[in-house]
Amino acid sequence: MSVVAECILAFIFGSVVGLLVQRSRFCNTAALRDAMLFKTYRNTKPLLIAMMILTFGFTLFLTFGEGKAMHFDVGLNQVVGLFLFGIGMVLAGACTVSTWVKAGEGNVGAMWALLFTFVGMFLFSLLWSANYWPPAPASMTGEPNFEALQFGFINARTLQDKTGIPAVAFGMVQIFLLGLIYRAILKKEQAQQLQHDLAAAKHQAKSAGTGNS
Amino acid sequence: MKLFKNTLDPMIALTLIAVLDIFLFLLVGAWTVGGGETMITGLVAELFMGDELARIPFWNLVFKPDAGYWKIYISLGMLFGAIVGAVLSKEFYLRLPRRLSEWVMITAGGLLMGFGIRLAFVCNVSTFFGLTPQMNLGGYLAISGILAGAWVGSWIYKKILEG
Repeated sequence: MSVVAECILAFIFGSVVGLLVQRSRFCNTAALRDAMLFKTYRNTKPLLIAMMILTFGFTLFLTFGEGKAMHFDVGLNQVVGLFLFGIGMVLAGACTVSTWVKAGEGNVGAMWALLFTFVGMFLFSLLWSANYWPPAPASMTGEPNFEALQFGFINARTLQDKTGIPAVAFGMVQIFLLGLIYRAILKKEQAQQLQHDLAAAKHQAKSAGTGNS
Repeated sequence: MKLFKNTLDPMIALTLIAVLDIFLFLLVGAWTVGGGETMITGLVAELFMGDELARIPFWNLVFKPDAGYWKIYISLGMLFGAIVGAVLSKEFYLRLPRRLSEWVMITAGGLLMGFGIRLAFVCNVSTFFGLTPQMNLGGYLAISGILAGAWVGSWIYKKILEG
């Protein structure tokens, strides 16, 4: 595919995503924050469903060697980087998607967050240029490099190549585990609903009682 | 049109996004945002600094500014799609954070997000919608990081809200 075609395709995909996220008010930050802070799961459930669909699709195509999987070595920098990101997204009240989407709704705070995301990236580029860690893609080997705190490259396809078990079988295990989390959330919501109904019934009985006297 | 009157069920929205993401994965690669944002940073920096930028090794070895990088256009598309959605549903208006504390939190949050994305090579989107569904070890590492970070962030947020 030509560069222009790739860019057009990416733009169309982005536009549809932007529209769907704007209309549904989905937010990845809320999916994590609200579950932790308020025990509400409006955004957590669709995130899990999307991950289950994607796990099936990606691992199925990886089984047949199709699709363009992300390919780079991973290591401790993913843990530390996303830890900082996690704090940042809750403070900013938006993640990478919602900053763009909220900016498109005229939210100046989101535009500000986006601006400082760029500043943060530039600051990191200066730090990287001083210590060259994590290793640049060109120096990645796919094998563990513990000195640089890198564990190499492992995904559903490398598991298939190593074990002979189809990637999609590993995918099924992951879907099952995600399903268990989903079920636990549904149970929690049922319990919350029950408690809510109970409280409402009590309140009703109380006001009915005062009405009679 | 109903889509622009009522809020869309996020379950429908995310199901559609997931299916489209599978097509994108087959054609160019899974949905991601951080890489495009880094390239935008590089292009803007180049605009200001010109050839000076190439003297910072990162912009030579990791991200060479290139306007033909497809990931940039996902971000621009999301902005465009959101503007269309907001205008057609009459939800477009300027909103300004009111308190100074909000500005401070947003500034710190933005910086942490940008710095974190580059340190990790991935953003939240590639974590949840790319790496983890590909069962890449990096996805699990990133999820453990983002969950811990969101927990600490929520704790700080709560302190500030109560404070």
